[in-house]
Amino acid sequence: MNKYRDNLISGLTNELAPVRTFAMRDGAALVAAASVVTLAAVMLVEGLGARVFQGQAAPFFWITNGLLLLLGLASAGAAIALASPGVGSRHDAPKWAAAMLGVLPLAALISVFSRVGTGEIVFDLSALHCFVASLASALFTGGALILWLRRGAPVSLESAGWFTGIAAGALGTLIYGMSCPIDNLTHMGIWHVAPVAVAALIGRLAVPSLIRW
Amino acid sequence: MIADEATLARLMAAAQKGDKPAYNVLLSEAGMWLERYFRRRVPPHQLDDLVQDVLMALHAKRNTYDRSRPFLPWLAAIARYRWVDHLRKVYKHESDLLEDNDAYVDSDEDVIEARVSLERLFVHLPSSQAEAIELVKIEGLSIHEASQKTGQSESLVKVNIHRGLKKLSALVEKA
Repeated sequence: MNKYRDNLISGLTNELAPVRTFAMRDGAALVAAASVVTLAAVMLVEGLGARVFQGQAAPFFWITNGLLLLLGLASAGAAIALASPGVGSRHDAPKWAAAMLGVLPLAALISVFSRVGTGEIVFDLSALHCFVASLASALFTGGALILWLRRGAPVSLESAGWFTGIAAGALGTLIYGMSCPIDNLTHMGIWHVAPVAVAALIGRLAVPSLIRW
Repeated sequence: MIADEATLARLMAAAQKGDKPAYNVLLSEAGMWLERYFRRRVPPHQLDDLVQDVLMALHAKRNTYDRSRPFLPWLAAIARYRWVDHLRKVYKHESDLLEDNDAYVDSDEDVIEARVSLERLFVHLPSSQAEAIELVKIEGLSIHEASQKTGQSESLVKVNIHRGLKKLSALVEKA
């Protein structure tokens, strides 16, 4: 071994201090806290839909939000795990969850195109508001995941970007969705899924450069 | 003789608690392991720089090692990440050739090392991309020389290097 490496090892050894090891639960707690903050912000700005608590929401409302929850949890879990690297790690759960959610817009579009007046059905009055508010609701969760990844040692930057975007988009849309007054198939299947796709794309493009080390 | 997986994992766990003698041994052993790990994929004069770079990364990110998991796949993931980064930065026209240490490495590889080796990454690349990276980024040929040797046009060599490195970085943990 050469003297340069010896010197380096001596230097690193001398500055060694105990460290708190990474634990998945810390990352999960961070994401949970961000989600609570998002929920509080949505309640403050939008208020929660009364029909949610009165049991008046359509079954499709629960199906969509249930799938968003599964996708959000699976993706957040994958993003959290990516902060601690390891050859052989695989994260397939979010892909299956995303495929399941992807059925919704397909069903909505098939339903829409089998009727007349397609444009009016697809672009309802709340469409743009839901889209923008869902993306805004993704900010806290996305920020929490980026913070977590920056503290860690992610080596699969593109995957981390995708999963961060999908998790933030799914959880943000889910939380905002609690206040949305529209629960038909077309609206939920398109305008409560499109923000997830856009957030995923933003995550893929923006996150890698923020977590590179 | 490099320490086995269980010993390295034990040393790393002790190092996370602040045990300096254990950490000193770990870094020395990890340094030797990395030297052997990179030997066939890095020109000799760049080898020590890369090993030191990974040791510093190990130090900076030591909190991310999960004690319930094996140590070498964690170290190998960091080593691969820094290696791909190194390939991106490496000077494009070096004429040094690699030392022929294949027999030594092959005879001493155990199951874990084979699982995490750099060779496994290249298996997943199309041969044209792997060849372009090997010739230009590892053996140090110029784009023109690599073009003549492979029969690919110069622009195709560049494209293959770009695409190959992109794919390698996506494979760091998977392959």
